Amino acid sequence: MTKFRNSLSKKLTAMNMLVSAGALLLASVAFFGYDLVTFRTNLVTNASIQAQIIGSNAVSPLLFNDSKSAETTLSGLRASQHITYAGIYSAHGDFLAGYWRDQPSQPPALPSVDPVTRETVNFADKEFILARSIPFQGKEVGYVFIRSDLGAINDRLRSYAVILFTILTASLVAALTLSRISQRSIARPILALADTAKVVSEHKDYSVRMPVPRDRDEVSVLVDEFNQMLTEIQNRDSALQQSEEQFRTLANSIAQMAWMGDSEGNLTWYNQRWYEYTGTTLEQMAGWGWQQVHDPQKLPEVLPKWRAALVKGEVFEMIIPLRGADGNFRQFLTRAVPIRDAQGKVARWFGTNTDITEQLRAEENLRQTEKLAATGRLAASIAHEINNPLEAVTNLIYLARRQPANAEKYLRLADEELDRIAQITKNTLGFYRDSASPTKMNLSEALQEVLALYSRKMEFKRIVLICDPGDDIEITGYPGEVRQVFANLIANAIDALPREGTLRVRASRGCCRDGVTERGVRITFLDNGSGISSADLKKIFAPFYTTKKNTGTGLGLWLVKGLVEKHRGTLHLRSSTEQGRSWTAFSVFLPEHALRN
Amino acid sequence: MIQSWQIFDYSSFPIFGDPDQTSKHLDALDETGRSSGVDHGPKIMVIDDETLIAETVVEILKGEGFNAISVSSGDLAVELAKTMRPAVVLSDVMMPGLNGIETGIRIREIVPNCKIILFSGQAATGNLLEEARNSGHVFEILAKPIKPANLVSAIRASMPSH
Repeated sequence: MTKFRNSLSKKLTAMNMLVSAGALLLASVAFFGYDLVTFRTNLVTNASIQAQIIGSNAVSPLLFNDSKSAETTLSGLRASQHITYAGIYSAHGDFLAGYWRDQPSQPPALPSVDPVTRETVNFADKEFILARSIPFQGKEVGYVFIRSDLGAINDRLRSYAVILFTILTASLVAALTLSRISQRSIARPILALADTAKVVSEHKDYSVRMPVPRDRDEVSVLVDEFNQMLTEIQNRDSALQQSEEQFRTLANSIAQMAWMGDSEGNLTWYNQRWYEYTGTTLEQMAGWGWQQVHDPQKLPEVLPKWRAALVKGEVFEMIIPLRGADGNFRQFLTRAVPIRDAQGKVARWFGTNTDITEQLRAEENLRQTEKLAATGRLAASIAHEINNPLEAVTNLIYLARRQPANAEKYLRLADEELDRIAQITKNTLGFYRDSASPTKMNLSEALQEVLALYSRKMEFKRIVLICDPGDDIEITGYPGEVRQVFANLIANAIDALPREGTLRVRASRGCCRDGVTERGVRITFLDNGSGISSADLKKIFAPFYTTKKNTGTGLGLWLVKGLVEKHRGTLHLRSSTEQGRSWTAFSVFLPEHALRN
Repeated sequence: MIQSWQIFDYSSFPIFGDPDQTSKHLDALDETGRSSGVDHGPKIMVIDDETLIAETVVEILKGEGFNAISVSSGDLAVELAKTMRPAVVLSDVMMPGLNGIETGIRIREIVPNCKIILFSGQAATGNLLEEARNSGHVFEILAKPIKPANLVSAIRASMPSH
């Protein structure tokens, strides 16, 4: 049993004793007090009666001034051991006879006596005196004077003390015994409860149970509830353990690598797949040790982003290369989600790394394929542009041969047509000029060249083109890819436009709206075609999503988005399908420098 | 936001000159240097929005003794067909206004025996032809560029006398 300096049982015992002793003392004091007062009154009454007896026997000695018989009368007082002195005095207060219990001495002077009560009582320190007049035939013939010590009271007090002590002792023993018994029913269950609680909290053992006391009282309810609580904790504990186990099993069986960390971002747990892929141990990886498997070149980009996510408590998402046990890096889509407690504070972080190396490779392949396919489509659309002047040239050369007189003029016309063809091939070449690193390019010029390639198609549909290509705006990027972006957006607009629709194209210098301010160029393509429905808007950039069932591959806008992002640019799309006022606007922002060094 | 829009001028592109210019070039040809065509016999109508092509083809056909005229649009050709009643129509496919297929269908309604030959520089005409075939209109098609000798023999094969 736990030892407390002021244990509940000690307190209970002390309380019992105090109450019993207090009550007993109070009762005794009241009782003895009353008894003492009564006793003193009796003492005086006894003395007064004795004085009267002496008085009535002293009448004749007084009348005859017979001190001898007066002394005899007084000697009867020898039986009263507390009377130290008694004297008989004449009516004038003269001493007649006296009695001394101890040594006879000088008789004391008579005090004045109240003529009405005929008696005077005075208490002094250790004695009291009583003087009484002796009447005879209505006249005072003398006085009796008695002096008594208070030994009687002291004797009584002494015996009281003995009685009180005995009773007190006996009752305290009884109280102690009673409290021991009462403890058994009150204190003991509570103390046992306290001990059990201590065992539970110290050993985290929720399987212990308290025996419920037989008496149904508050304590038994308390014990009952305590047991109930333990059962509940045990259930919750096992449910928690089970879900934790399930989580571990799940986390170890998923294809992703997973990990957990505290609110500060110190990682404390990784799933099996992490260790298998990286070939590391928890000791190496704990806290911020994961940096070991990161690409040192990428880390300066990862760390600030991770720290910012930790501070803001926001979801972290980034494609990060991680080194495998074989020393090769693979690309992982890394996501970390803050787990919040009931107060909304970040309690811990849960993260996953999904290997998207193959996906990225497949996407890159698809992008390359689509670039080639787009080039193919472009080739088909410009075939017309080339075939028409070729037809004219063929005819003109034939005519020049047939009509030598006009040969000069036919050949001049053929020359002009050949210039047309040369211009087309020159414009087309821009699409193939795909440099490995970004180069400086005149964006305004590129935009006009691409528009020129589609001018025939636009004229065929009688599309009104309103264009502001900007004033020789230059950017650093991949010229072929920028042209591809323009070509896809223009071709889409032409497809969407009805006969005699309007296409507005505008390029202007500007700054990026969201995030860090960055100088660049914004190119807007606005057509008043049928617009894009909100359902299509959501999926329009997804690969293989197309609304042109037979002619589209569904990769055009996906490619545009990919190429714009490659240039660290942004692509915005807004559209309205409102009847008669429909429109679609694509807005491309390209930063001045596609890649920051 | 849009302040400095300008109406875009197609002719500012060097590859796409004003189509009317080409006819001017041909008009400037020496009158005496032209081969004299015939203005009798079955009529051949050559339709192309690129008038340089239409006029050079007509020039070639006239040189071979055909009675040919050039027309710069499908709409105009349909209008002319009512009075001219051509025996053979050679038409470009991708043209502003009525395209070659629509023009052919319309002309056939006016002149049921008229032979329609399409010539196109674009692969994308496949869809248009497919649509026409589905509605019962089958046209012969030639691909641009075509050698004048081949063009002439194709026309010759289509002439009603054969």
